[in-house]
Amino acid sequence: MKKISLIIFAVLCTGLSLVKAQYKLPAYEKFKLSNGLTVYLMEKHEVPVISLSAIFPAGAIYDGSKAGLASITANTLMTGSVNLPKAKLDEELDFMAANIDMFSSKEFSGLRSKFASKYKNRVLDIIKNILLNPAFDKSEFEKEKSRTLVNLEQAKESPRAVIASYFDKAVYGNHVYGNVVSGTTSSVKGISIDDVKRFYNENYYPEGSAIAVVGDFKTPEMKKMISELFSSWKKGTSKHTNAASNPISYPTEANVVLVNKDDARETTFYIGAPGINRNNPDYVAISVLNTYFGGRFTSLLNDELRVNSGLTYGARSVFSPLKNGGTFYISSFTANKTTAEALDLAIQVLQKFHAGGITEENLASAKNYIKGQFPPSYETAGQLANLLTQMYWYDFNESFINNFEKNVDELTVDKAKNIIHKYFPSDKLQFVLIGKADEINMIAEKFGKVKMMDIKNDIP
Amino acid sequence: MKKFLLPVLLIISFNAMAQIKANDVNSFTLKNGMKFLVVEDNSIPNANMYLFFKVGSRNEHQGITGLSHFFEHMMFNGSKKYGPKMFDRTMEFNGGANNAYTTENVTVYTDWFPASALEVMFDLESDRIANLSIDPKMVESERGVVLSERSTGLENSPWRVLLEGLQATAFQEHPYHWPVIGYEDDMKNWTQADLEKYFRTYYAPNNCVVVISGAVKTQNVKALAEKYFASIPAQPEPEPVHIVEPEQKGERTITIQKDVATPYLAVGYHVPDAKSKDFYALVLLKEILSNGKSSRLHKALVEDKQLATMVSASYDESFDPTLFFVYAMSAKENGDSILEQEIYKEIEKIKTGGVGERELQKVKNQKLMEFYNQIETINGKSNNIGTYEVFFGDYKKMFDAPSEYNKVTADDIKRVANEYLKKRNRTVGILKTNVDN
Repeated sequence: MKKISLIIFAVLCTGLSLVKAQYKLPAYEKFKLSNGLTVYLMEKHEVPVISLSAIFPAGAIYDGSKAGLASITANTLMTGSVNLPKAKLDEELDFMAANIDMFSSKEFSGLRSKFASKYKNRVLDIIKNILLNPAFDKSEFEKEKSRTLVNLEQAKESPRAVIASYFDKAVYGNHVYGNVVSGTTSSVKGISIDDVKRFYNENYYPEGSAIAVVGDFKTPEMKKMISELFSSWKKGTSKHTNAASNPISYPTEANVVLVNKDDARETTFYIGAPGINRNNPDYVAISVLNTYFGGRFTSLLNDELRVNSGLTYGARSVFSPLKNGGTFYISSFTANKTTAEALDLAIQVLQKFHAGGITEENLASAKNYIKGQFPPSYETAGQLANLLTQMYWYDFNESFINNFEKNVDELTVDKAKNIIHKYFPSDKLQFVLIGKADEINMIAEKFGKVKMMDIKNDIP
Repeated sequence: MKKFLLPVLLIISFNAMAQIKANDVNSFTLKNGMKFLVVEDNSIPNANMYLFFKVGSRNEHQGITGLSHFFEHMMFNGSKKYGPKMFDRTMEFNGGANNAYTTENVTVYTDWFPASALEVMFDLESDRIANLSIDPKMVESERGVVLSERSTGLENSPWRVLLEGLQATAFQEHPYHWPVIGYEDDMKNWTQADLEKYFRTYYAPNNCVVVISGAVKTQNVKALAEKYFASIPAQPEPEPVHIVEPEQKGERTITIQKDVATPYLAVGYHVPDAKSKDFYALVLLKEILSNGKSSRLHKALVEDKQLATMVSASYDESFDPTLFFVYAMSAKENGDSILEQEIYKEIEKIKTGGVGERELQKVKNQKLMEFYNQIETINGKSNNIGTYEVFFGDYKKMFDAPSEYNKVTADDIKRVANEYLKKRNRTVGILKTNVDN
């Protein structure tokens, strides 16, 4: 009786589309300054706050031999501008309760800011100076560098903090997508303030960048402000090529990276393979199917590894797409002594998914879920500003939002079969296991050629 | 926590310039004592339901530690109408997602869904509150899940180890002594009878506050509340937690060995609960110490002296007297004792020299921004309103808070620093590699 209720539910709602959320992206204005900087403006007046998101073609793929250079450059930009030294910058932002952060990812670097609209003049001026007139103060850089070095050592205490970098190396090999964004202890030691200046000069340029402002302002006024502030940003001088455009040599056989952690009480693992590019035409369909496979609480993976067997607190799967490549991985963790059981089970779930596909009811459930959870992802000014810069970077537009439900609904059980077959891996799996090597090395050998490492060492 | 590790600390705030006003919150109470608070907000076609149960690890005793949190898990494992797995399956089929968290004080269940699925949420929640069935088979597999949750917390963060040790040292009698997740041996030992008793006692409608925000109509919520919850009988009030932690009469320290790059340090001072007259001044003191890069501790220890890679302070709402924490990670391998002394120096400066007017205004500005962040989402609204209702006794206090904050003077900050941040009142925890020197 209990098991049947879901099916009754499904049949009652023919068409099975229970969720009619109908979320549309609010109106926005997009324009380009004469230096090539792309600007997005969207008004939103619920709270007297403005969020800003900016994106620059200065990611870790441009690190070259100095892993961590993009990241430390972004952090160094936050250590003051020519006319506003760090201590003053920090105090002034804190007084306004304004927040400005910079970060780096594989492909790009970014700035995110949130502030009360009454301080917009001052905060925007500060942002401009951080980006266009950085101080590159040597002593602030050295401080930033030594904090980074301690943070890198501390990260080695947490498998969760480092496992993605090991995995990306395993899948991308020597391609720049395998670059470790945070850098390593030895690479960061070799970075100088001159490296940072050079990286900034080469990789922060308006014609490859975008700024999105969302919140409590009037568009004509904001347009004038942004244009005046950023028109003086000079175009880049060096020739720009996408460092990630070289072909990726994905692994041709199954491999296991076994990272020893002497005091491990559990094994943390990723199992995966190449994934998809962000502009894949099947992106939405893949998202729906991944929701069913490993993207929600009742997913196949979590149901088997957690609910049925109690082997773990959580198991999930992720597609992590970039412009020219991507990864797919299953991730979970389990006690040392249940490592073999959990790995076997995860692979069985993947095989079962390939063999069994998805039923009409389960597809309906995954569709309803992904549609129902969609609007809260674009609720705040900050979320919307990030979306706009993502649209810039990955070259899509509001049709992704506005047609999302339609695209979800178009997926059928038959189409799903092809999508599963095409995008979910079934062989040449790449494993990263972080745990107590002498207890799990025999298990590791079962899954592929084993490479031994130690969490205390740098990621190679 | 059911699914993902959420920070235990809830951030709350308020301000006079708040967009949402007290009379935007509609309130009604069923005859069985179950209270509902509703905010109509049509910014997205979604809604949420937050259920606050006044039960947490402070309601446990040794032998059943961790049971509140384990119970939080068991609430997803089947009831009369919706059997094992059906709660989550039905919710997700209807476009909803959920989570839950347990603290020392409360257990909170959170549902997020398209507004059109509101009635399904009432059906699901009322079924498990009225008719939870505790299947022994589910108890066993779920025991494995929470053991894994405990293990992964300890595996990935030295803070867990340190703060558990610190809290156990600062509280010698009061139930804040043990961790929310429980002792490993207790976790392996909970019985069916323990669970059943817990359910009867604490999962009563009169021990629960429900907050709903989103694209809903209050009238409709009221009708659904009557339809689904009114028939659940009220229970006798749970026994109050009667243990009061005796006054601390001298500094305590605890050292823990773990292989780490640099030492981790935490200091806890006994401070009063959320209903204390000093609550607001202590919150502002916490912000002055550690909110932002220009805050006292961050500027001195991270920027100027480079003794720490991070420093932070916390003081959260609670039912019983709690701890005001300062935490820091040393930048140097053997830097714990100098870091500790420098933290005290900064605190001393406030105790003797007080704080400046601009500094006080800065933290008041930060509170206002925090408030905007909270009310920017429907989830922030529900969480904030529920937290005020439960910890301060009335959600309307959220709207009085601005004047409470504005009343705090530089002298108040200095006074509470002197009253509570005393050597005899503190417990110091250090986690490091080498503990034998």
